[in-house]
Amino acid sequence: MSSDAYGNKGSRARGVTRRRFVRSAALVVGGSALLAACGDNTVAPASSTTAASGTTATTAAAGGTATTAAAAASSGGPITLSHWYHQYGEDGTQQAALKYAADYTKANPNVTIKVEWIPGDYDSKLNAALLTPEGPDIYEGHLTNSMVQAGQVAPLDDLFTDDIKKDFDKVALARNTVDGKIYGVQMINDPQLFYYRKSLLDKAGLKPPTTMDELINASKALNSGKVKGLYMGNDGGIGLMAGNLVYAAGAKFLDDNNKPAFNTDAVAAAWAQGKTLASSNTLLVGAPTDWWDPSAFDQNLAAMTWNGLWAMPTITKTFADDFGVFPFPAAGPSGKPVIYSGGWAEFVNPKSKNVQAAKDYVNWLWLKSADKQQDWSLSYGFHIPPRISTANGAAALKSGNAATVVDLTNKYGYGDLTIWNAAMGTALTDAFTNVVQKNADPKAELAAATTKVQAELDKVLKK
Amino acid sequence: MSIASSKGQTRATGYVVAKGTSWRRYLGQAVLYAVLIFISILFLIPFYLIVRNGLMTQAEITAPDWIWLPKGLHFENLDKLFNDPLASMAVGLRNSLLIAVTQVFGQMLFASMAGYGIARIPYKYRNIVFYIFLVTLMIPGAVTFVPKYVIVSYLGMVNTLQGIIVPDLFNVFAVFLFRQFYLNFPRELEEAGRVDGLNYWGIYWRLLLPNSRTILISLGVLTFINSWNSFLWPLVIGHDSSTWTVQIVLSTFLTAQTINLPALFMGAAVGIFPLLVVFLVLQRYIVQGVARSGITG
Amino acid sequence: MASSKIVPASPKITSDADLNAKGRRKRQLQTTLAFWGFVGPMMLGLIIFAYVPIIWGLILSFFDARNTITPTKFVGVDNYASIIGDDQFRNSIVTILIFALFIVPITVFFSLWLAVMVNTVRYARAFFRSVFFLPTACSYVVASLVWRITLFNGLPYGFANNLIYFFGLDPIIWIGTANPPYYWVVLVTVRLWLQVGFYMILYLAGLQDIPKELYEAAYVDGARPGWATFRRITFPLLRNTTIAVLLLNLIAAFQAFDEFYNILGAKSGLALLARPPLVYLYNIAFTNQNYGAGAAGGFILVSIIIVITLVQGKLLGFGRSENQ
Repeated sequence: MSSDAYGNKGSRARGVTRRRFVRSAALVVGGSALLAACGDNTVAPASSTTAASGTTATTAAAGGTATTAAAAASSGGPITLSHWYHQYGEDGTQQAALKYAADYTKANPNVTIKVEWIPGDYDSKLNAALLTPEGPDIYEGHLTNSMVQAGQVAPLDDLFTDDIKKDFDKVALARNTVDGKIYGVQMINDPQLFYYRKSLLDKAGLKPPTTMDELINASKALNSGKVKGLYMGNDGGIGLMAGNLVYAAGAKFLDDNNKPAFNTDAVAAAWAQGKTLASSNTLLVGAPTDWWDPSAFDQNLAAMTWNGLWAMPTITKTFADDFGVFPFPAAGPSGKPVIYSGGWAEFVNPKSKNVQAAKDYVNWLWLKSADKQQDWSLSYGFHIPPRISTANGAAALKSGNAATVVDLTNKYGYGDLTIWNAAMGTALTDAFTNVVQKNADPKAELAAATTKVQAELDKVLKK
Repeated sequence: MSIASSKGQTRATGYVVAKGTSWRRYLGQAVLYAVLIFISILFLIPFYLIVRNGLMTQAEITAPDWIWLPKGLHFENLDKLFNDPLASMAVGLRNSLLIAVTQVFGQMLFASMAGYGIARIPYKYRNIVFYIFLVTLMIPGAVTFVPKYVIVSYLGMVNTLQGIIVPDLFNVFAVFLFRQFYLNFPRELEEAGRVDGLNYWGIYWRLLLPNSRTILISLGVLTFINSWNSFLWPLVIGHDSSTWTVQIVLSTFLTAQTINLPALFMGAAVGIFPLLVVFLVLQRYIVQGVARSGITG
Repeated sequence: MASSKIVPASPKITSDADLNAKGRRKRQLQTTLAFWGFVGPMMLGLIIFAYVPIIWGLILSFFDARNTITPTKFVGVDNYASIIGDDQFRNSIVTILIFALFIVPITVFFSLWLAVMVNTVRYARAFFRSVFFLPTACSYVVASLVWRITLFNGLPYGFANNLIYFFGLDPIIWIGTANPPYYWVVLVTVRLWLQVGFYMILYLAGLQDIPKELYEAAYVDGARPGWATFRRITFPLLRNTTIAVLLLNLIAAFQAFDEFYNILGAKSGLALLARPPLVYLYNIAFTNQNYGAGAAGGFILVSIIIVITLVQGKLLGFGRSENQ
């Protein structure tokens, strides 16, 4: 460090810098004042988002709002409810969500719905927010027992009259029930299954596979240099096969007594088949986008792909009717075809200051307003509305591949278990990864996963 | 400062010219340039690809064929980026700029004050305080993330820009560097200031800060980059699109169902651009600042 | 002063020593006040946004805390035991050690090499310096996307596969297979690209502090510019820089998260290929919402980082110059 840099002359010359620093410091102070002002605006109940949505509202509200209006009126005073969505990928979904909110306010002028459209890692953000008193009033997500134990979901049994229960998809209902109480209203069902190119299968003289062996053979037969046989995600299908093979082998994650039920010989054999498929060198791996985006299939990079029903509009646009669908094929003699049915459910945060108003809104949007449920399920990506009558009334699901998916889902669909948490899922995926990538013995890996899942179950059920 | 650095440069390069026949020297330099140019191209390729992808269509990006030069340049991607009513890049740029500038000045102020106090005020427990500060450097942010979020929520700063800015105003690494820097500050100058009747504040404000230009700028630039690129914290704090930063707007192109690749890369290009400008303008200070920070001994 | 002369001697007269003591105490008080005036704001901020969260986390690590961060049920060291007992956590430590083994020496080598080259050329020095430093401005998220989607995708026509096609090799699935583990190429190159410029700047700063006279003296002694002078003069004099680069690099490597998360993901079958501790802990805390176990794992990681830093510091003598 040479001292010449600190000479008197330099010091004077740098007086300018100091003045500049003072000015900058003033800027900081001013900036914070400005921020404080901005902050007040964002906290204020009438946010810019809702204001904007108000102007875009056009159509009249649907029926079934009389009771909600009365309920809200009895509580008195204006109410603002924050409603969280994860970011849907399809164009138009956010505008739709804003429009529903505006429609509700039109019918219930003292209730304002503030739609929060959450990009990025929705789960982390939601989980963090639910730990605080300022979490959302209404949010979508996936129910687990821990959420119930931690008081993050309000029971919604009173919304489900017997009529509604009868008219509601059973898998979706079970998926949102813990200890006999219903906590969530399924918004959409998202079945996942295989898509295949009809022309390519015809050319190879193949029928849609119904067993794992046929799937392996088809993938090999369709694999031709530029076009790979099958695309199941950039992890080589590991994440998808680990769980689906358990069900396709005729087993399940947990039995009715919440004991691990996936460690069977049939599952071990199915996992061995899964390894054969994964290491057959016929799977597309390393595509620019993952399986849930149909780009790779649309670009003709693979003859068959795994995807959700949501991708069907895009795939139809690319291939018209040159594609078909089939469920996850049966694995082994005791196996059966399966379709994993995911989706999203709406919950009410019991920490909300307006639980009743939030419940009224959820009731209105996802149980009463069939037109909005249809719009949400079919105007953007394709999903199956959990209300059976709504699904039946949907013309888009009445024909072609979409109708096939609905039928298959009704026949073979299975949903998540509320007790099965992410830690257990990781244990299972890790075990299957070891089988595929490290040539581990399926039996041993299943046993190890069982131990881990049991340990996790002990902790979750202890409370 | 410029005197010192130019001196340093002649010092360091002098030896190359010292010996060897001239053709050998030229050959050596030619090889050197060839290697440097080759590596430069490698280093610039990712930037090129960001811009290239930003100007192509989704189909072209995911196409099986490699494209060096896209046939048509889709500048409408840029229009779409700024005219998207739901996730405005303009708002993101404004927020990012506001956050980064505030954090730069705030961090520099608090860290230089603390660094000066620890380095030059003969308080009995100053070293203990310093070590207590340093402990925080060892703890990965993931460990404290959730409690920090809950605290911010109790302070009512969730969904505000303050909530993004304030928790990151306190940078211990910067305190460390300022302390090193002020430890080496000539004492004679400080004493002269004292004779002139300056108290601690006067010495800090009138003598040390004006002479800390390089370190202020170099640390400031690094702070600016970090702030600009930070993702998880702004994501969790900002619910409303009016509080989204550039990085959050970028992440909206990457959803659970689809990836909007052209928008993503065009957004990335737009997001990187201000940083490149800041960089190119100020980078010579960064070299000098690092040289004087004491980090290299 | 003036008044004290008029007032007659009082019984309260203070001795010189007393006066000094009082003055010293006053000075001490002034010093203390001045110190906290300068350090106080920093301390206050850290208490709110660092120490309280750290202590909160420490407390949580001894409690069962699922879907909540209110310590409810004390479980002693159960969380620590279950994390240490989990082979996946131990694997993640192995993973990060392997990663550090790759990235640290490679970064040190390349940053020094680039610095020496940039420092040696006569023209366009600022240009090269800028080019190598520019990636520092890029975020890990964006860089990871470029690497995964465009540079190292597994298609025959991806950039890297195009490149190796020149050499007559078959396309490679860069990300997605354990054997051979090509994903390390992807993970190491992305971090190298992002950080090598910064460390190069550190070396450049170090190089400029080496007095030219040393080289001249060496030439007088008959040394040739090049490897000999580098080995005998340049490298030894860059010792402190190298130690700093090693240390900063190692700590950063141990806290690696972004590129792993964005290239391999956190939950897919790929994640297991190379899952560093922070991704593992992220899963536990944010996905499983097991905050007690997540905090415990965090503190285990912290102790490992501290041990490694101390060992490395001991071996290389970091901080010696500071004591001088």
